[in-house]
This record gives sequence, C-alpha cells and structure tokens, in this order.
Amino acid sequence: MASLTLRDIKKVYPNAEGGQKKKKKKNRPEEPGKEKANLQITDEGVVAVQKFSLDIADREFIVLVGPSGCGKSTTLRMIAGLEEISSGELYIGDRLVNDVAPKDRDIAMVFQSYALYPHMTVYENMAFSLKLKKVPKDEIERKVREAAEILDITQYLDRKPKALSGGQRQRVAIGRAIVRSPQVLLMDEPLSNLDAKLRNQMRAEIIKLRQKISTTFIYVTHDQTEAMTLGDRIVIMRDGFIQQIGTPQEVFNHPVNLFVAGFIGMPQMNFFENSRLTKENGVYEVEVMGKNVRLTDSQQAALKAKNQAPCNVVLGIRPVHMTIDEGDFAGKIEVSEMMGSELHLHMNAEGNDIVAIIPTVGIDLAAHSIGKTVKFAFRPDLVHLFDAQSGLNLL
Amino acid sequence: MRKVKAGPNGAALTADLSPSKLRARRRWRRLRENHPFLVMLIPAVLVVFLFNYLPIYGVLIAFQDFMPGDPILGKYTRWIGFENFTRFFTDVQFWPLMKNTFLLCIIGFVIGFPLPIIIALMLNAMKGRRMAKVLQTIFNGPHFISLVVLVGMLTLFFGRYGLVNNIAAGLGGDRKSYFLESGAFRPLYILSSNWQDFGWSAIIYIAALSNVDPGQHEAAILDGASRFQRVLHVDLPAIMPMVSVMLIMSIGGLMGVGYEKALLMQTDGNLGVSELIATYVYKQGLTGVPDQGYATAIGLFNSIINVVLLIIANTTSKKFSENSLW
Repeated sequence: MASLTLRDIKKVYPNAEGGQKKKKKKNRPEEPGKEKANLQITDEGVVAVQKFSLDIADREFIVLVGPSGCGKSTTLRMIAGLEEISSGELYIGDRLVNDVAPKDRDIAMVFQSYALYPHMTVYENMAFSLKLKKVPKDEIERKVREAAEILDITQYLDRKPKALSGGQRQRVAIGRAIVRSPQVLLMDEPLSNLDAKLRNQMRAEIIKLRQKISTTFIYVTHDQTEAMTLGDRIVIMRDGFIQQIGTPQEVFNHPVNLFVAGFIGMPQMNFFENSRLTKENGVYEVEVMGKNVRLTDSQQAALKAKNQAPCNVVLGIRPVHMTIDEGDFAGKIEVSEMMGSELHLHMNAEGNDIVAIIPTVGIDLAAHSIGKTVKFAFRPDLVHLFDAQSGLNLL
Repeated sequence: MRKVKAGPNGAALTADLSPSKLRARRRWRRLRENHPFLVMLIPAVLVVFLFNYLPIYGVLIAFQDFMPGDPILGKYTRWIGFENFTRFFTDVQFWPLMKNTFLLCIIGFVIGFPLPIIIALMLNAMKGRRMAKVLQTIFNGPHFISLVVLVGMLTLFFGRYGLVNNIAAGLGGDRKSYFLESGAFRPLYILSSNWQDFGWSAIIYIAALSNVDPGQHEAAILDGASRFQRVLHVDLPAIMPMVSVMLIMSIGGLMGVGYEKALLMQTDGNLGVSELIATYVYKQGLTGVPDQGYATAIGLFNSIINVVLLIIANTTSKKFSENSLW
C-alpha cells in the first residue's frame, strides 16, 4: 500500500509522420489547439490528458469516471507504466516513478478483457508473476491459495480460463493481481464485460475485497453507478481534463458544472435552459418558464458572497427532487416507466425534456399515463444554478 | 401420415414429429439458410473435383502395362497387378532414391519449419512497426522469384566463376565446382529453398500473432516478463494451434518434394544425391521411352507414404494436444 501523487500529468500522442505528410500534401495544416471531436489536437499531437493533478491517500479507493475518450484509461495506463508520461510527475509513495519500469512500480492491474493467459491453468495464471520473481515454490503455493480463498476460486485452480464463466475469469484476473500484494491495484473497467446481474454481484465482491486486502485502489469506469458505490473519492474527467474531484456525496450534491451535474445521477439531472437569474432589491430569484422561483437564504448568501450579477442560467433539479400533482409548472407525460416501487415520468414542459421520479404507493396510475398533463414542483433548496455561458455552478 | 400442427404464430409445432424427421427438417432449414454460401462454394468444389479428384482415375495405370496412347480402361488394357510396385522395390535405385528424398526432406523440414515461426515472432516483437513491415516485405520478395531464376542465381553465386569462387580466389583459395560436388547439393538446395520461402511461410504466423490480445502482453509486462519471456509465454502459446496444424500438414507433405528444382540443379557430379523419387518419376514417365505405368506406381507409392505420415501426425497431435486436422 502506498499513497500516490500525480502532478500536472500530461499525455500527448505525437502526430504520426505519415499523417503530417498527408496533411502537407493536401495543403490543409491543422490549426494549433484545434478541437476535433473530443480530442485536442495541437502541434505536439493529440492531447489525451492534461493538467491532471491528484493526491491519492494510502488505501484510498479512487474512481476515475467519464465518458469514452475522456482520458481515464490513459491516466491509469500512465500510472501502470504502460504509457509514457509526456510531462508532469508521478510519485508512488515518495518515489518518482516516471521512468521506472512497470514491473518495478509494485503495482498490479486488472484488465477489462481479463488478459488471462489461455494456455495456463488458473493456478499458473496467478502464480506467473511470482514465478518470474523467483519466489520459492511453497510461498507461491501459499499466496495463490490465499488469494484463491479470498476470491472463492479455489475449486477452479486446475481449470483453464476457457472453462470458466465471465465472472469467474474476472475473479481470476483480480486474483492474479492481488497475489503479488501490490502497493497499488489498478482496475480498468473490470466489470464492463459482464452482464448486469453479474456486474452487481462483482461490484459487491470488490467492496468486500477492499475490506480484506489493504492496498490503494484506482478504478476506471464509465459507469457512474460503479463510481458512486465503490469510490471513496471520484475523479470526473472530460476531454482529458479533470472536471471535479470529490466524494460521491459531494459530486452528487454539489456538481461544479453542467457536465458533472448531467453525468452523475441516474436518470440525469433535469435542466431548464433559458432561465434567468434576477436580482431585485438585493433579492435573487430565478425566472423559469415564465415563473419566478425565490431562492433560499443560504443560496441568496452564496450568490451575494460572489456578488453575482443577473445573468442567463440553466436551472438543474434532480428527478428525485421533483414532486408532481402540485406546484405552478405543468408538463405533458410522454413516457411513463413503471419501475416497481417508483414511476419514472418523462415529461415535456415548454420544450424542456424532464424526468420526475415518484413513489408508486398510493398513486393513481391512470392519471399519470402517457398524454396526460400533470403539475409539478421542486424544492428551491435543492435546485442547482449554472451559468448559461460557462456552465459553472453558481451556488 | 402425421399432420404437422401449426402454433399460434403460424410456426409448426414439432412435438409430434419423429426424431429423424426433426433432423431432416433441421438439415433442410440449415441448407435453406446457408444456400448463398453453398452456391459460392460450387466453383471451388468443381475445381477441386476436376483437378484433384478426377485425375485419381489415372492411378489405375499403376496396375497396368501401360503405353502412352493406350486408353486407361479399354478392351486391350493389360492388367499386371502390383508388378510395377514390385519392380520399383527391387530396383537398384529404390534405396538410394528413398534415402535421397528422405534426407533432403527431413533436413529441409528441420531447418525450414521453425524458421518462419522464429521470423514471425521476431517481426512481431519488434518495437518499430514500420521497420517490421519493411522487413516483412523484403522477406516476402524471394517467394516471387521463379525456380529457374533462383537456380540461375545459385549458378551466378556458386558456379565455378561465380561470386563465391571469385571471392575465394581473390583470397588465394581454390575454385570449386559446387554444382559438381555431391556434398554441396543438399545445403544449396535446402538453404536456397528456405531463403525463398521463409518470409512467405511466416505470413500465416504473423496473421495469427496479430490476433493476440494486447492486454496479455501488458499483463505480462506488469507481471515482470522480459521481451523474450513474453514471446515465450504469450506469443508462442497463441500461435501453437496454428503451428500444430502447419506441422501436421508439413509432415503430411514431407516426401512430396517437387522435381523441378532438383532437376534444374542436377549434374552428373551430384546425381548420386540429387536423384529423388520425384525426378526419377519424371524421367521414367516423360523422358526416353516413357514407362508411365511404372512412373505412376512410384508416384502412388510416394503419395501413400505421405498419407500414412499425415495420419500418424494427426493422430499423434490429437493425442497429445487439442489440435488436429480432423
């Protein structure tokens, strides 16, 4: 186990020579700093990760989360040593490891594709790294059996990976990683190849595993549920930049910007665009769909502290924080999803697509079917206000 | 006759059908589903039938006292049973031919079989992908040289006044006629064959290596495996099924060396080692007074050896590994 420090890490994939020649031939040079899709292309090349700074405490469980191509896996691979760090510093414990070979970093990694050696048995897979380190046979035996017991795969030790199910393979992959007692355990979307039921099961297994082994975890996923349930802290990334670092509660309750607000939470936060923050007689209000919503005292204080000027805003409210059959707003139900204990109502309110989650107990389902118009409201203390231009949270 | 009942969605209820009818129905359904592929297969099947199966009919002349121009099956066909075979087994040339063919093939196999595997592994392990591609292209080049040109090149290099002799003479050595020396035939034959084909033969292994999950390499790097250990523990096991299949096929064709190159390299000086079953068949069947029945018998004998070797190799592979041709 060890702490990790990442200081201003940057990863640039240099432009291929062939690509440059082609560009020259076509006489269409890329403009420096131009953004293509979600990648930033500069003269140096494609910037995958930049300005990544993070302190990870010993035995902490950190989850890197973000959409595809946001740089989370690249960051993990840089920590593993599988990708070179273009600039910045990476410390494991007190040791600068930028130029240290992966095998000497005392880390282990669990891959999305399991990456088990197909010709070896489960035992041999788990023992491989120890054999290479020339660990005595009896110690290898002890360590492998210990890890197998933790993961409940002792009965599969003589089997080859192809004779195992997806979940069992993933356990073996984890076993192979923990058998080395690494200082840092890296996991690159380890549950992505599993079906929903198995994923939930394995998620619980990882939580249990964490209690059994004392190591620092860095976990990459694009699934915000995994991020919320597993992480001590979550690092939300987008286009190579960190958007927010915080505990699951922090990022859920206080998203720093529109992206984080939309990314964390399922269903995602409702956004009322074309809203306006107004200030009259020193009192802030938000005009939403032609109606004024008065902000709470604490929100007023926060805005006053910033000396916030009136501006166009996006008002955000989580589906669980909405109530229906009351309030000044109205929306037409377009889709009604019965989830058992709760009902997800997808509504359209003056062009805004919104979702409300309501408990099904005592509700008249016929009155909340497709095509009906219902009233809805939200608690002002639970709204989020984002600057329409910068997307930053104003509260 | 049983009636097939229709289910609510119009599909036939199969519970009432006998197992054989069910099987027939499934077969028919598969045929119907796959008919575009089966149609595409027809030209290939036709080619194989015309050029591989139909000529088998010609082996009948191995059991005849056959003269060119005779019909294979006719009123005047002279059947002589295994006489042509007996004649070959008692021929003074039998053991030298067997020895020459076997030695040339086995040495060629021992050197030539692992070479493409090693080359493929090396090219795959190279860091510079561009360089690897350039090298692969260079290695493939010799495959496209015709045998006549290849033997011409050998003459230019190893002839009495060729490059090698010129260098030797320049260094004060004696000139040698490599093509007249029986000791030089096998090395020249085998090395030139391998030089010509190692790159081409490596393609299949390179293709197999391209399917290796990069994650396995990365896992091995984190496990602390060196580059060589990764080749040994990741790459080599990944291509082992392909190696097994190629090994079985190579053993199956072990004695099937062609006559062309040996004939082109053949001189009076190296005849003792360069006369192979294939060249002997050619000479008996197509030169002088052709004895095609005899030549066919020798060829058939050679083919039977290959089939036996193929069966042994396949059975052995099946027993000791999970890979076999059938």
